[in-house]
Amino acid sequence: MTSHPQDTAGSPATDVTAATPGRTFAASGVPTDHLVIENVRKGFGGADVLKGVNLAVAQGRTTAIVGPSGSGKTTLLRLIAGFSAPDSGRIALGGAEIAGESKWVPAHRRSVGYVAQDGALFPHLSVGANIAFGLQQRGRAAAARVAELLEMVSLDAAYAKRRPHELSGGQQQRVALARALARQPQLMLLDEPFSALDAGLRVATRRAVSETLERAGVTTILVTHDQAEALSFADQVAVMRDGELAQIGSPFVVYTRPSDRATAEFLGDAVIIEAWLEGSLALCSLGGIPVRRPPVQGKVHLMLRPEQIRIADGGPIRGRVVDTDYFGPETTVRIQLEPVKASAGRTLDPHQPVGGEIISIRHWNAMLARPGTELSLKVVGEGVVFPWD
Amino acid sequence: MDFSTSTAAAQPPGAKVRRSAAGGRGTRLGPWPVVALCTLIAAFSLLPLGYVVAATANTGWDTIIALVFRPRVGELLFNTLALVLITVPLCLVLGIGGAWLAERTSLAGHKAWSVLLAAPLAIPAFVNSYAWVSAIPSLGGILGGVLISVLSYFPLVYIPVAAVLSRLDPALEQSAASLGLGPWKVFFRVVLPQLRLAAAGGALLVALHLLAEYGAFAMIAFDTFTTAIYDQFRSTFNGSAANMLAGVLVLFCLLLLLAESKTRGRARYARVGGGVQSNPQRLALGAFQLPAQLGLIALSALALGVPLWHVGRWIIAGGAAIWERQDLLDALLQTLGYGLAGAAATTVLAFPLAYLAVRHPGPAAKVLEAVNYISSSMPGIVVALALVTITVHNVPAIYQTSVVLVAAYALLFMPRALVNLRAGLAQAPRELDEAAQALGKPPFIAFLRVTLRLSAPAAAGGAALVFLGIVNELTATLLLAPNGTRTLATQFWALSSEIDYMGAAPYALLMIVLSAPMTYLLFVQSKKAAGQ
Repeated sequence: MTSHPQDTAGSPATDVTAATPGRTFAASGVPTDHLVIENVRKGFGGADVLKGVNLAVAQGRTTAIVGPSGSGKTTLLRLIAGFSAPDSGRIALGGAEIAGESKWVPAHRRSVGYVAQDGALFPHLSVGANIAFGLQQRGRAAAARVAELLEMVSLDAAYAKRRPHELSGGQQQRVALARALARQPQLMLLDEPFSALDAGLRVATRRAVSETLERAGVTTILVTHDQAEALSFADQVAVMRDGELAQIGSPFVVYTRPSDRATAEFLGDAVIIEAWLEGSLALCSLGGIPVRRPPVQGKVHLMLRPEQIRIADGGPIRGRVVDTDYFGPETTVRIQLEPVKASAGRTLDPHQPVGGEIISIRHWNAMLARPGTELSLKVVGEGVVFPWD
Repeated sequence: MDFSTSTAAAQPPGAKVRRSAAGGRGTRLGPWPVVALCTLIAAFSLLPLGYVVAATANTGWDTIIALVFRPRVGELLFNTLALVLITVPLCLVLGIGGAWLAERTSLAGHKAWSVLLAAPLAIPAFVNSYAWVSAIPSLGGILGGVLISVLSYFPLVYIPVAAVLSRLDPALEQSAASLGLGPWKVFFRVVLPQLRLAAAGGALLVALHLLAEYGAFAMIAFDTFTTAIYDQFRSTFNGSAANMLAGVLVLFCLLLLLAESKTRGRARYARVGGGVQSNPQRLALGAFQLPAQLGLIALSALALGVPLWHVGRWIIAGGAAIWERQDLLDALLQTLGYGLAGAAATTVLAFPLAYLAVRHPGPAAKVLEAVNYISSSMPGIVVALALVTITVHNVPAIYQTSVVLVAAYALLFMPRALVNLRAGLAQAPRELDEAAQALGKPPFIAFLRVTLRLSAPAAAGGAALVFLGIVNELTATLLLAPNGTRTLATQFWALSSEIDYMGAAPYALLMIVLSAPMTYLLFVQSKKAAGQ
């Protein structure tokens, strides 16, 4: 195993690792996988919540588990934290098994930090006492460490004397992070920590937390139902649906090349139209769209992100504006595409769908797109296809 | 083409998805040691009801018919029914009216009135009775019973209703006004329906108190089931006669519970949506200010003025002599001792039940809650009767010991501790326990340092209310106390039964003094609880 910076001698992290000598997973491959989850299952009262989850998280990196509510992502996080035990499967942290067939390390003996949705600060303790809650040190040493941790989350040392209810939501979350960081955990778990904050604060807090964790070099898992948050926060995104991870990959890959239609629609707006795939070219009412590594041939659904479809003078595709939604910086434009016609120099493939679908795209210029306006469009980049059924 | 295009809107980033705070996840029943403990406690709390059922089952039909269908029972039935049917509506009118005046109108001095209207609760009903008998020696019969009951018990309706009124979201009333309703229509169509839960709960409490009260009615020689059972038991130790009367009384209590749960229906207090609610607007009283003030002054004069005046009068008349008795200090110390022991025992017994209900709200918690709901309605006389008989026959070693008396207090006052503990535990969500565990604390330490610590104030509040109950408890104490026991209540009772009104006065005063801060606590707590 590679050494990690927070694994300093004498820290609780080392104690736990030493106390739980598990075996490393031969099958897990890359040795830098810090957290390995293998085939984890969990059910409640007859209902399967997790149906065999596999996930590997690299040392010092950030993974977002994103999915709609009820998909099982919080259950998975609670298994990693040690608040409950999996029905089957294994979890290993830093090479040591923390949950498996015959072994289960409870939460307080794992080197795992946890930040809950609302921060879960202890209301009866001051900010300083909250942060010092998990520390072994007492007195001056603890106070120094508290000040250090407050600085780490960009809060003034004077906040230590305050009570949790005197803080704003964003400050509470930062205190919760400082409290979780105090024990120098190997792994940090964030359970929707930004969702209770209002929009402006959410972005700022997310950025502050992200920077703090990156500086501390802690392997991090974020659970969220907000796809924008997942894409912007993490190095790796795992999309959870119905108790399974539908896709794992970098934010760019899962967004631009989603593995199925539900994932595509969950991660952002999508234009999905009927197409006929031949080789690596999808024929549809937007013309011929290149597709990378097509899984099937013939009749398919073609997915493009709205920002791939641009309004461009002289573009090959014609459409008429149906209506618009004005959002300030950008406008959502619904466009009725012109049915594809055979034209001079271009014969129509008998399989090519010809329907004039209505698609929604975004544009920055509301003036350009009044209802009834005829527009020329072009498509940028590749499309993704999903089997018809 | 059936399928043209699709633009799937992803979830808006602002959507908040909150898991239920209670947490449906985790073990359904709860940890088995807690469930086992709770089952034991629930079985214990079912003792009185079980006793009455068993006693009835063991009595032959002929005996039951002979004992139940006789003129004496008819007379008791009439008295008890009339008392309940007249007193409860009067308490509802006074309680809701007083609460509305104090919380929702421009009543001058509404802050003082809101406390004064709760204050009669600090005067035990039998002290009230004693004062009224001093004022009108001929007081008695159904009218006397109703007068004393209404003056003693209307705060039981007033307190919960005032709490709800003060926390009612004014946006509801504003919406109704914007829909074209005038102030009076708003009150009857929007405000009053919201009070149904609180008013029904208060009415149930009043009715149960009426069924359970012994001292206040015995003092004015007004016979109800409770006084009759007591007399029967004291005079003849005739088991089956007292048991059959107790059976009818228990039947009454269960019917009341049923009626209350029907009234309650599926209604819940609910404030839909988030955000901060503004302060309620007060309705201008205008020309009604003077009649309102006069009415409240009259009510307070009768409920507070008369008892305080007469207790004061006897104390002045008695002079220094009545304070010099050794008995007084003795009774005070014994009362404090029983109060503290009973409050501690009750809180300890209630804790597992509250924990299970809050942390593992599954089927087991539901059953235990239902059991508690039923057993909490048992009158003191029935609890005492059951414990006397069970200890005499089965565990004579503890018959007439303080252990049995403390057990009776725990049975009688468990609900007071439970309500508070549940509210307190709800303030200590499981997430905090887990946060402590994630910070390296073993589960038991996490429980001690977070859950127990956070629920301690609520537990203390509940214990204080149990203490208040014990200080003023008379019926069960008279029947169960070890020989030589003197509490404030029993000494007061013994002296006033001997018509030594002067000698009884210091005991009355001490009970009022001990009760006053606790009544205030109850009042303050109810206002907080209604917002949750």
